[in-house]
Amino acid sequence: MSLLALRNISKSFGGLEALRGVSLEVERHEIVGLMGANGAGKTTLFSLIAGHARATSGTILFKSRSINGLRPDQICRLGIARTFQIVRPFANMSVLDSVVVGALYGVRGEKSIARATERAMDILKELGLSNRADDPASSLTLSGQKRLEIARALATAPELLMLDEVMAGLTATEIAELLVVIRRIKERMSLTIVMVEHVMQALMQLSGRLVVLHHGELIAQGIPQAVSVDPHVISAYLGEPV
Amino acid sequence: MSGSIPRSTALLFVIAVGAAAFIPEVAGEYPVAVALSFAMWVALAQSWAVLSGMTGYSSFGHAAFYGLGAYVQVLTWGIFSPWVSVPLAGIASCAFALIVGYPALKVRGPYFVMLTFGLAEFVKYSVIGIEAQLGQFSRLIIGGPSPNDLFWIMLGLAAAATAVMYLVSRSRFGYGLRAIRENEQAAETVGIPVSLYKLGAFGLSALIPGMVGAVMAMRMNYFEPAQAFDPLISFNIVVMATIGGSDVARGPLLGALFLVGLSELLWARAPQLYMIILGVLLVVFVLFFPQGLATRLFGNLQRRKKS
Repeated sequence: MSLLALRNISKSFGGLEALRGVSLEVERHEIVGLMGANGAGKTTLFSLIAGHARATSGTILFKSRSINGLRPDQICRLGIARTFQIVRPFANMSVLDSVVVGALYGVRGEKSIARATERAMDILKELGLSNRADDPASSLTLSGQKRLEIARALATAPELLMLDEVMAGLTATEIAELLVVIRRIKERMSLTIVMVEHVMQALMQLSGRLVVLHHGELIAQGIPQAVSVDPHVISAYLGEPV
Repeated sequence: MSGSIPRSTALLFVIAVGAAAFIPEVAGEYPVAVALSFAMWVALAQSWAVLSGMTGYSSFGHAAFYGLGAYVQVLTWGIFSPWVSVPLAGIASCAFALIVGYPALKVRGPYFVMLTFGLAEFVKYSVIGIEAQLGQFSRLIIGGPSPNDLFWIMLGLAAAATAVMYLVSRSRFGYGLRAIRENEQAAETVGIPVSLYKLGAFGLSALIPGMVGAVMAMRMNYFEPAQAFDPLISFNIVVMATIGGSDVARGPLLGALFLVGLSELLWARAPQLYMIILGVLLVVFVLFFPQGLATRLFGNLQRRKKS
């Protein structure tokens, strides 16, 4: 049984259909790359899975259990964590405390602040942020804040990690570093990852499978090499040949 | 800042409360009255900080909880002893907060400020209306506990409110509340039951103010709704907690000390000046020291020593 299954998901905002009949399965330990032009429905899909919005129709199953209608905090406790495309730091908290919060709640919900702090520190080391632990979260660079988003999500001890454009706005060097980090945490914490990304290099290198959304519909999926030459995908990105 | 309470802090707390308890033995009526007023503001400002300091939902309506407590006290006067009526007043205020908190906590920022202020005024005029219907315009409490007894009760409430704020600010619950203050949606995403936590903090922050109102009704020997629900009570609480800082327990303590001291200096001599200075201080602190005196003087507790 797949870890996450979307069955015929649709979402409309008023008259606008953001997603139309999307079905998708994500297997354990996979990295699935979600691509598509702006407005294709990628972030909407994340919001539905994380419980920030409710699907108009369709079912979302996580570990064979329907999570439709659950609140974001309940979904998090089941083992789904996400980052935000536009970072949402706990600005006045220290970097460490931001991650401690994740460890205190989330799936494990540590009762002891000391233990949560230990775990948070380990995760910060993993993401190369341990030397900034005592600084306010708001003092980090964009690259640092993106990594803090990941650290906070990881602290909730998820099985499924959803990364929403964590590479956007980073320099080539930072992207290369982050690729290494993501691969490493995936192995160490035996994660399943779904990532939305515009940085093709990252998608091609990390994903075992690419899924392409276009105007709210799933138009292609498969191994990166196949998807990148799929005529539907090329026409979706570049337009029909005249 | 995790785990057990530092010995020195516990010791300081016990000594301070113990020493304060001797004030009626060594001082006259007037110092006891000032000490009572100080204890009252500490209890109110600490309670306010549990909600507003921790979550960022600034209540401008805490007078409602104080007033309701006072009202419960006069209504049950002659029926229950203060040992029953004071806790009852707290429970009534807490219950009221839990009922109105559910819808009220759906809005934040300036909307929450306006909503809580409006709500407190609404409660005030409702009570005025009810009292008018009953043909009551003020009620007397005669033969209540002595001023010294009331001071000791109030001291107990101030100590309890300070302990609650201290414990909450260091707890897992406190981390959750701060996360809500910093970013509610992100807090939800890391698994914090946001609505439940906000409601819990709101209820907790109404409990002791209700009891304070009950004690003050006995201290003033009468109840008159316009006075018991005076919005100035709400404002004073906000000013004290803001000046002192409302993220850790020492903040409201300092704020109350500062303002009670200031009012003692100015109140009798220049009451108008007092209000003007209060306004100026609030503006200055919000603009230049938004984290308050406590952080200014002692640094940020949030910041751990580098190991």
